[in-house]
Amino acid sequence: MLRYNFELAARGLRRFPKSTLLVVLTVALGLAACMTTMTLLHVLSADPLPGRSQHLYLAWVDTVLAKPSHASADLMAANGIKVNDFHNIKLADAQALLSAHRAERQAVVADMVADEVSDDGRHTQPQQVVLATTSDFVPMFGVALRYGRDWTPAEDAARVPVVMIDSDLAQTLFGTPNAVGRAVRLKHTLFRVVGVIQPYAPQPHFYALSLGAYSSDGGENLYVPYQAALDAGLTPNSSDACDASYKMSTIADVDAAHCASLSVWVQLDTAQQVATYREFLQGYVAQQANLAGFGKTPRSQLTGVADWLKQNDVVPDSARLNVWLAGSFLLLCMVNVIGLLSARFLHRSGDVGIRRALGAPRRAVFLQHVLESGLACLVGGVLALPLTLLGLWILRQQSDDFSGLARLDPAMFAALFATALMVGALVGLLPAWRVSRVEPGLQVKGE
Amino acid sequence: MSVRILFSTLRRRSFMPTLVMLQVALACAILSNVSFLAWQQMEPMLAPSGVDTENLILVDGLDAPNRSWTKAEVQAGTEALREVPGVRAVSAAMGLPMVVSVLSVRAYSGPTGVKVGANAYEGDDLLDTLGLQLVSGRNFLSSEYRDIGSDQGKGVPEPVIITQSLARQMFGDSVPLGQLLHSPGDGTDPGSVVVGVVRHLLRNQVGMATNGRADDTVLLPDRVADSWLLSYAVRVDPQMRAAALRGVRKAVKKQFGPLLPTGSTPKSEFYATRRAEVFKSRRAALVLFAGVALTVMAVTVIGIMGLTGFWVQKRTPQIGIRRALGARRSDILRYFLAENTLIVGTGVALGMALAYFGNSWLMRYYELPHLPWAWLPLGAAAMVLVGQLAALGPALRAAAVPPIVATRTR
Repeated sequence: MLRYNFELAARGLRRFPKSTLLVVLTVALGLAACMTTMTLLHVLSADPLPGRSQHLYLAWVDTVLAKPSHASADLMAANGIKVNDFHNIKLADAQALLSAHRAERQAVVADMVADEVSDDGRHTQPQQVVLATTSDFVPMFGVALRYGRDWTPAEDAARVPVVMIDSDLAQTLFGTPNAVGRAVRLKHTLFRVVGVIQPYAPQPHFYALSLGAYSSDGGENLYVPYQAALDAGLTPNSSDACDASYKMSTIADVDAAHCASLSVWVQLDTAQQVATYREFLQGYVAQQANLAGFGKTPRSQLTGVADWLKQNDVVPDSARLNVWLAGSFLLLCMVNVIGLLSARFLHRSGDVGIRRALGAPRRAVFLQHVLESGLACLVGGVLALPLTLLGLWILRQQSDDFSGLARLDPAMFAALFATALMVGALVGLLPAWRVSRVEPGLQVKGE
Repeated sequence: MSVRILFSTLRRRSFMPTLVMLQVALACAILSNVSFLAWQQMEPMLAPSGVDTENLILVDGLDAPNRSWTKAEVQAGTEALREVPGVRAVSAAMGLPMVVSVLSVRAYSGPTGVKVGANAYEGDDLLDTLGLQLVSGRNFLSSEYRDIGSDQGKGVPEPVIITQSLARQMFGDSVPLGQLLHSPGDGTDPGSVVVGVVRHLLRNQVGMATNGRADDTVLLPDRVADSWLLSYAVRVDPQMRAAALRGVRKAVKKQFGPLLPTGSTPKSEFYATRRAEVFKSRRAALVLFAGVALTVMAVTVIGIMGLTGFWVQKRTPQIGIRRALGARRSDILRYFLAENTLIVGTGVALGMALAYFGNSWLMRYYELPHLPWAWLPLGAAAMVLVGQLAALGPALRAAAVPPIVATRTR
């Protein structure tokens, strides 16, 4: 029975090739538009570190010795400029939080900019973003080592100039991925390469947002102990605010001792640990007696990754708006196809009348036509795949920093076909129901 | 009884028109939103720059992250550029049109209390170098200039040249010259006094150049000194544009090359080149929006044509009868076009409501701009036009039905 109806449906599709083509094309366009925008949103709002991110928290205490300036906040707001608020803290606080060891693991994180020069001086990578951090970063964030080792807490404490670089940088600077034992010069200090890591670039780049949340061309290619980096004269790339007593002499003069410019990320595995750490942070900031002169209430915050991303509006609203627009377009295409199918089915009321007169039940007629529309939409779904790939390619040509990430993954691939089938069933229902209402006698007489 | 018949007839007869109406409503809602988004990308591109675009070279990328440019170094750079053959005027500046790497922002409130954010262009005689058109007032006097960041002239109102648009926003119809502007939030500030008004001056924060804010720009009598950021505006002889550009590049390289850190690349380009660069992503977005709008239109046209065609075909006998009873071809044509107008019109009304309330609803969740009322009729007009065009073919076919059809039984 089903097979017979299937055959009838396939025959029906071939009978009016022009209108079949229209149906297939319209469905394909609607699906492709929808899937393109959904894929971008899916990529942008994905969990940056599945399995790890729910245990990572950003610890922040407000200890900047400056009165909050309403005038400058007004000025920035009037010009639509967002003021840096990356929950960075000052050097002394970062050191204190780290040495307290109140979390399972803890790491300082800061982006710094420097020229990377090979030890023989032959290769230079100018103005690169390097990650200044501590030894816990590797196990906390799941960075994969390829050669050598990561540096130890003892080397952190002794401020030993060591680095880990990624295999791409090793290839560029030294001509081989295994660069263990070589050295990279940052400013005037030679840093010994102790390990080579796989390129590491979770999207969004949640642990250091100052240089943008997304990057199509990877993350930091060199990791260095932050104390050794500061010793070498590197400075954090951005700061939230500095003490009122401190005046920058040049734009790169972000002094970590006086400017909130380092992030502290901690790993907390249980709700109990989170609650305890939150209390610890508030207790820590409450003890800072010198804050009182600046009219500040003691403020601290412990923020999980998902909340942190939400707090910083990391996923652009335009990506969400585009999904709404594309969804409406798919709806438009569906209404269009309902019309096309209805016209086409009612066109053959005669045939249906004869089928009905020969004893076919309404159910069979209904099934035949639903199958026909389902089949058309499935073909549309297949055609939508190359169109979606084309749409994603067009998106990648846009020059904002996140569109370059838009690529189809298996989950979205499956979603495409599920949507195609659903659309097929939905648009088929109404026209099929209408044609199954055709009275047998009348039609036969009419012809 | 009669109500029931009315409803059952409507239900029988209204299926196709309802589908057309729904399509039009959806398409209208999408088009209004897309065209508004496109307009937001386009607005800064259409805003007049106010500067002598043809003959203006902009120099930037002279950033010294680990030191500051001294007053003498800035002056030496200015002198070196003035020496270049074909150069008419040179200004060292903080903030220049189409130079997005250096941003100088101000906020002012006028006597009416309106608060406006503005971009400032600071430099020596920028009025002349940029080739701005002064509509009233005067240029800065040489005694009014002071070094950026210094305490010179503190305590007295700072002279400022504003644009016509700012003057209108701040002072309405009253004469802006000599009036005071205050910096909001700071009671101790002596404010700024308006000494001149220029016709247009596009702000360099192009993302903010929408909703009539394109000209929210001021000129300030500040000289660049002890700054880690530096840029130059150079106006050249129209006859010597190419030679002057080469000369400027050479002079910049000679003057600043040895002082810049490795890897930094000073950029000297004509205004048009900088503009094309700044607007590149906007142009790409516009192409995308145009593609979306065309696709939506195409799908809708095909839908209306298909449905109207079918509907006309169904009513061929009735058309034949009407023709036999004396209706002219033009009557039939007009009838079907009027019917289409009615259906599309209803759809458009529905679509406008959908666009407006959809936008307000989305705005509650996302940071989206408000879709203005005035924007709705545009999508609506487009849809009515498209609808008529789509219905024209089927309507002409209907008009061509001969009266003899009425006598045939089908």
